[in-house]
Amino acid sequence: MDNIWFNIQSLLSYDPAAPMIFSSGLFWCLFILFLPVYAILKKRRLQMLVFVVAFSLYFYYKSSGWFFMLLVGTSLVDWGLSRIMVSMCSRWQRRLCLTASIVVSLSVLCYFKYANFFLWNWNSMVEGNFQPLDIILPVGISFYTFQSISYIVDVYKGRVAPTRRWIDYMFFLSFFPALVAGPIVRADYFLPQIERNHTAVSAEMYWGFWLILIGVVKKALIADYISQYNDLIFASPTGYSGFESLMGVIGYTMQIYCDFSGYSDMAIGIALIMGFRLSKNFDFPYKSKNLTEFWRRWHISLSSWLRDYVYIPLGGNRRGTLRTYVNNFLTMLIGGLWHGAAWKFVFWGAMHGVGLAVHKALAPILRKIPDVWPVRAVSWSATMIYVSLLWVFFRADSWLDSWLIIKNIFTNFSPAHILPFVQVRWVWLLMMSLIVVLHSVPSRWIDGIGRWFVRSPWIVKLVVFVAVVQIVVQFMSQEVAPFIYFQF
Amino acid sequence: MKKGLWGLWAILAVALAMFLITSSFDSIKVGSVELKSSGMARRLMRPPVTDAESLVGIVAETVGSVERFTVNDDANVVDTASKTILFIGDSMLEGLSPRLAAYAKENGHTLYTVIWYSSTSKIWSDAAKLTTYIRKFRPDYIFICLGANELFVKDIMTKRDVCVRNIIKEIGDIPFVWIGPPNWKPDTGINRLIANNAGNGHYFKSDGMKFDRAKDGAHPTHQSAALWMDSVVRWMSLHARHPIKLDVPSVAQARPKKVEVLQPLK
Repeated sequence: MDNIWFNIQSLLSYDPAAPMIFSSGLFWCLFILFLPVYAILKKRRLQMLVFVVAFSLYFYYKSSGWFFMLLVGTSLVDWGLSRIMVSMCSRWQRRLCLTASIVVSLSVLCYFKYANFFLWNWNSMVEGNFQPLDIILPVGISFYTFQSISYIVDVYKGRVAPTRRWIDYMFFLSFFPALVAGPIVRADYFLPQIERNHTAVSAEMYWGFWLILIGVVKKALIADYISQYNDLIFASPTGYSGFESLMGVIGYTMQIYCDFSGYSDMAIGIALIMGFRLSKNFDFPYKSKNLTEFWRRWHISLSSWLRDYVYIPLGGNRRGTLRTYVNNFLTMLIGGLWHGAAWKFVFWGAMHGVGLAVHKALAPILRKIPDVWPVRAVSWSATMIYVSLLWVFFRADSWLDSWLIIKNIFTNFSPAHILPFVQVRWVWLLMMSLIVVLHSVPSRWIDGIGRWFVRSPWIVKLVVFVAVVQIVVQFMSQEVAPFIYFQF
Repeated sequence: MKKGLWGLWAILAVALAMFLITSSFDSIKVGSVELKSSGMARRLMRPPVTDAESLVGIVAETVGSVERFTVNDDANVVDTASKTILFIGDSMLEGLSPRLAAYAKENGHTLYTVIWYSSTSKIWSDAAKLTTYIRKFRPDYIFICLGANELFVKDIMTKRDVCVRNIIKEIGDIPFVWIGPPNWKPDTGINRLIANNAGNGHYFKSDGMKFDRAKDGAHPTHQSAALWMDSVVRWMSLHARHPIKLDVPSVAQARPKKVEVLQPLK
């Protein structure tokens, strides 16, 4: 009994190596305990808010330790400034509050995320001898910082009324399904839902359950399995043949989609069970036939945030053609830097910016080309090749590694490696095929299966759930890999 | 709300109970399919693991009673501080580095790996790359694995003695362990040469160990290389001049903080 108690204690304590993620057994157990209490408190709004905020803070504590206090501090500053802002009459005073809030939020983000990046670059420029600071990046800080900025800007612009109570704002900022890896929740979309306090009906709950299952399959089954091979390729860029490197690159392209969209599906599903709607974050991005379409389908909550709070304030497309391209480029550059404090992310964002600008510039010509299937096939292929190649820079440890992998694909490619690869890595190929099938079939088919699942008897749901979990266990690698987007 | 929620709650709870109960077995066979255990019950019931106990039960598939160039000085206490470790060497690092990275992750160390394919002590010595990387990463512990590409060099004592000395000179006062090459044939003296220069407690002689080899017949497979690294770590805890905290990791392998790869010299 002592052992069980000791192990439960250690499981519930903060462990930097084991952040709590939706696909872990621990979250499953805690969610079973959470649900009945939530249901009882649902109609008592204040108590429900306090309970969910406490659970969210514990969730954050499990991932980032005492940094949950930072989240509390940020929320207090933002909320306090938003209250002061609405009580101010003059515009410059309101603008001062807005600036103060944004500066505080960005300063915290910059310190934790970019201080060492700045020091490294400063070191290189002046050949200095600074030691990097011993900084731990709090999980999800980039996500909740963007949420807090959108809140204060929306309050300033009068799009949303500031919450009267701090607990409402804290609920919005710390809502655990979206806390550590999005989707980035917007105040004007989410705060009215808190006011409404909608109770989910049975069909919504089971649709949420269905989304969780889809997310588990994408993240815990497919992404975690195929990542084992991809990691080998990226760890030794010249250690494998060109064909194997190519498979690694395609594998990572699929892995990051399954990993991140799987997380989003789970987050949206959990929120739906609780009676809240989070916006769609992915819409089959690899079906895109150009880069503009890709960014309308990939990480939608981030790209729409960047559009509304960076691109449009920069002038959007209102200041001439050249300025539109520059604004596009700058927005993507910031998007790249948001993903991580390294030049590779800046490059990745910049190249997407260049791609978007080129597509916009060519749009008048491209519109004249007839929309027939060979053209669509070429457009889709060009988009996929561009996106996949840029993922190499996103994933590889260094510039050199990125170039080596790409070079290896073109200089060390031999069809002789294909057959042995198929023989040895057929399970990996099977997983990849599964993604391609999921991505290729019309979405109404998948929705149709989902609707069937929602209507099915409870025993069918139980069997499906147990089967999915058991399949994950069968393929589980030795450690549960955290979500890729945790690091952002 | 309540009807739907309790239904969902019941599904989650029943499934959890099923997995908890079945996880107390190693695995369950259904026909010809072996269902793996989720490990939940074991995770809850397992006794607390101490550092000393964590070493028990790890059995390397390596055999051989070879000279290890060890010190038996009980005064060498384990340094438990977090280290910045630099691991340099030839292609053998492909197998060793992920396992050492797992040790580093478990014990709070930071590992930087530099793999120079087809490199030898002469190449490293002539290029003086180690000095560059020491400046770059500022390590306070160094692992080297070199020698596999010079197992059969004739007259090695005169040709490579100065090279090995140079490398050790570049290391300076930084504690280090040199992992010897995994001989697949008797060498012409590289093991003896490195051992003589590295000194007691710095050289792990891999000659005499039994490895599962990759198709090239030289490189140990990833699994075998991981066991090789385990052997080095066990040896370090007992015999290294500067033992550091290297408790057995809970994961099989991990990624170093940074891996730099250098191409073979043409």
